[in-house]
Amino acid sequence: MSKAGRFSLDRLGILWMIATLGISMFPQLLSMPVHLVPITLLPIAWRLLAEFRHWPPVPIILRIIATIIAVTALVMTFGGLMGRSAAVSLLVLMLSLKLLETFSVRDVRVVTSLSLFLCATQFLFSQGIMMIIYIIASLLSALISLMYAHRREAFEGLSEAPDTGRDLFTELSFGMRLMVLALPIGLTLFMLFPRWSSPLWGVPEDALDARSGLSDSMSPGSIQGLFMDDSPAFRATFQGSLPSRSDLYWRGPVFWDFDGTTWKAGYLIRNLLADSKPELKRAQFRYEIQMEPTEQRWLFTLDYPALVPTGTRLSMDYQLITNQPITQLRTYAMASDPGFRDNPDLKLPLLRAALELPQGFNPRTARMIAEWRAETPSDGAMIQRALAYFNQQNFHYTLNPPLLSRHTVDEFLFNTRQGFCEHYASAFTVMMRMAGIPARIVTGYQGGWYNNLGSYILVRQSDAHAWSEVWSKGTGWIRVDPTAAVAPERVEQGSVDSLAQRRHMLDFAWLLHARNTFDLLQRGWNNWVVAFDSVKQSRLFTNFGWGFFDSMKLVIAMIAGILVAAAASFLLMPLILKLRSSRHQDPLVRLWQKFNRKLGKAGFTTNPSMGPRELATMAGGQLKYADEGINRIAELYILCRYSPTDGDPAELAALIKGFHPPQQS
Amino acid sequence: MTTLAGQHQPRSISKSIVNRIKQRVLAKRGPMTPPFELAYRHIFVLPSKFGLGFGFMLLFMALGALNFNNNMALILVFLLGTIAQMTTLIAYRNLVGLRIDSIHAEPVFCGEPALFRVFVTNGGERQRFAVQAGVNEPQDCRDFPLHTSKALQLAQPTNTRGWRELPAFRLETRFPLGLFKAWSWIFPQSRCLVYPRPARKAPPLPRAGGGESGNAHKGEGDQVHGLRKYQTGDPMQRVAWRASARHDELYSLEMEKPQEEACELDWDSLTGCDVETRLSILAAWVIAADHKQLAYSMNIPGEQVAANSGANHRAQCLEMLALFKS
Repeated sequence: MSKAGRFSLDRLGILWMIATLGISMFPQLLSMPVHLVPITLLPIAWRLLAEFRHWPPVPIILRIIATIIAVTALVMTFGGLMGRSAAVSLLVLMLSLKLLETFSVRDVRVVTSLSLFLCATQFLFSQGIMMIIYIIASLLSALISLMYAHRREAFEGLSEAPDTGRDLFTELSFGMRLMVLALPIGLTLFMLFPRWSSPLWGVPEDALDARSGLSDSMSPGSIQGLFMDDSPAFRATFQGSLPSRSDLYWRGPVFWDFDGTTWKAGYLIRNLLADSKPELKRAQFRYEIQMEPTEQRWLFTLDYPALVPTGTRLSMDYQLITNQPITQLRTYAMASDPGFRDNPDLKLPLLRAALELPQGFNPRTARMIAEWRAETPSDGAMIQRALAYFNQQNFHYTLNPPLLSRHTVDEFLFNTRQGFCEHYASAFTVMMRMAGIPARIVTGYQGGWYNNLGSYILVRQSDAHAWSEVWSKGTGWIRVDPTAAVAPERVEQGSVDSLAQRRHMLDFAWLLHARNTFDLLQRGWNNWVVAFDSVKQSRLFTNFGWGFFDSMKLVIAMIAGILVAAAASFLLMPLILKLRSSRHQDPLVRLWQKFNRKLGKAGFTTNPSMGPRELATMAGGQLKYADEGINRIAELYILCRYSPTDGDPAELAALIKGFHPPQQS
Repeated sequence: MTTLAGQHQPRSISKSIVNRIKQRVLAKRGPMTPPFELAYRHIFVLPSKFGLGFGFMLLFMALGALNFNNNMALILVFLLGTIAQMTTLIAYRNLVGLRIDSIHAEPVFCGEPALFRVFVTNGGERQRFAVQAGVNEPQDCRDFPLHTSKALQLAQPTNTRGWRELPAFRLETRFPLGLFKAWSWIFPQSRCLVYPRPARKAPPLPRAGGGESGNAHKGEGDQVHGLRKYQTGDPMQRVAWRASARHDELYSLEMEKPQEEACELDWDSLTGCDVETRLSILAAWVIAADHKQLAYSMNIPGEQVAANSGANHRAQCLEMLALFKS
């Protein structure tokens, strides 16, 4: 193959392959560390230029060097190649570098196929409804790329150019038709294909990236990023009464240990199990939560959970902690009793943990609390006084507070006085502990957006919240939200609507509203597609009345079905083909065949080589009684056949219909 | 019997078994000698190498998707699998109903490839794309729009003079994605006449006039005798273009027939060389004489041709040489 031929052949194939790769890697490019993006795009740009400027492939030495540089950059960024993000980024980089040597049909096919593989890996990160567009775009582009590769292969090396223009429109509509035709079968397979009830191999924990949601520690300012994130955290569908807005505190990680800047969950406390939990029959709220994967271990519930789903445990501070990180969409039924008394008696070590403060931090606050304590001996009054302090002094609720240094509470209370829930919760809890009142911090989500169409509450990451709980003997832990004292609208309207200015350029109320409504589709998609598993599959079969199928039987049934279908097609296909071929197009021939069949029944076997007259003579000789009729039919057939103006096929049809030779035994 | 079996080497046994199976499978599928129409029973479909690789990738993707219960990935796999499966049908439909009308090959000289032209007609059920033909590897490829007839070329190397048979070849297609290959065997009963390879250093053309080789040039400088109306069969070189343009009608130049005597291309004049060399030299002479538009007669053992000239004469002489049996 000459050099010139290799380049000039089907540029479109190369361009579509690059398009396929570009579409497939697009989501990964968005989520990759920014400095890796130019490294990824560079080989693609080179390949595009090479296509138009007829550059030869890059020498192998340079390719090796480029690969080493890229992998080194990747390892330095991710600290290794473990983890999904790192692995998929590696795949993207390698595919992009592959373009440096992609000139032959074989390489085009490899890159296109692996782009489809890359496409599948993207669903590890998101299975949102918008990914349908992604699937369609990359699939269509890949099909076109493969079609061009095939044409190039077929016509490669021929002096004559392909003589039928299969233009872009043809290829596009052909690819689209393939996809549409494949859809019903593909979806049927999707529903019927046996699923594994448990994975063969699990996800290694160090492969997780803990990409979204709350984390297992809190320092003021740490959940700030979450307020920008409008992606859904979970959806709750209530049976019966909806809780009021002020009850919508979704409980997540609880923190006891404070080191001056950061709140953490004590290891011990997290592993203590709850002694008692609310009785199910007293639970006021019953709901189902569909939770997006967090790769963390918390399930979110309203206070206080009365159910413990399988694979989770209920800790002593009423966090629901799963045994495995949540890597997939998870749906769980929950019931909550807000009136439950949380630990009316607290054991001494726990009491100490709820009062402990690091030494040498926040002296001004300590002095102020000591003064207050002298004036107000009652715990209830102390709480009220602290809340009133937040309310009456000049505190502001803002998502962009100034940074705090060593004495975070002192600086916040006396200098900056700007912050959001974390600052208030942290300062309040420290104040309570200084006053000798056991207190802890709870993080989670507050509020949510009620979707009227779907009758469910959508909670977004931007609804993240932090509040405090204080303990008193007999009543147990009670929720106190100091943020509500400063900005009551935060609780009444939600975190986003309570802000005076927009968070970012595209932060419009109507847009968020539209997105909230659109979430209904996402929820349905989640329910029907993303969360479809072996349990839902067997439920579906039960609805169809095939309840006896479990997955093993399903496998057997599928194999049997395929075998039966194959056998049937082997046996039936020749029959069908014969039927089709024997059914002659010409109506006259069909009539003649009918006549021959009738003669056959009467005992005269016809021979295809006989002409009509010959047949009539022979049949008349054999079947004397029908001689007259046979002759008339034969003559009329000849007339119809050779002199269409004189012969009337309808008359022939009538004659043949009325022809009843006596049956011969 | 045992001696017969013992004569075969192991490799040829396995080869002959494969061949026998092939023959048996194909025997049931009706005639496959042109003209015939490709039907259901003629067409085989199997995955191509790329198709196998693609299948393995799909399997791998399906395993991962099932393990992580990742339903969108699973949908992608099932869509791709279904599309791949559908292409088997498309490939089959791309071949079925094509009619192989006839196969022609013009005679060639030994050493040149024999070009077999396989005429294929698309009756018009649907368009066909990228239909390839080849004995082992695909050699030629054509698209067939509705109601078209085209020739696919199969080049076969030639090493010996005589008849060159076109072996069984395949009409195949990998349309539309290249994942599957649909093909049909065709057993042509056509052959190409291979003339002897013309000798490169042939002795000079024997002239009747006692070897006056100087005359050769005279023959070329033929005088134009006159004009006459064009008749079908007149060579293009003799069309009087200017005169034709003036009269709006085609005219041919009438050439003066060389008045020399015909050359005699005689087998017996060539001594001291073997049969094939003699045939080569004779072939070279025929070409040379024809080129100079001389009349020539030929004489080889068992056959003789009277003096004549022209394309038919040339073909007759060369065919005699090609099929000469000593």
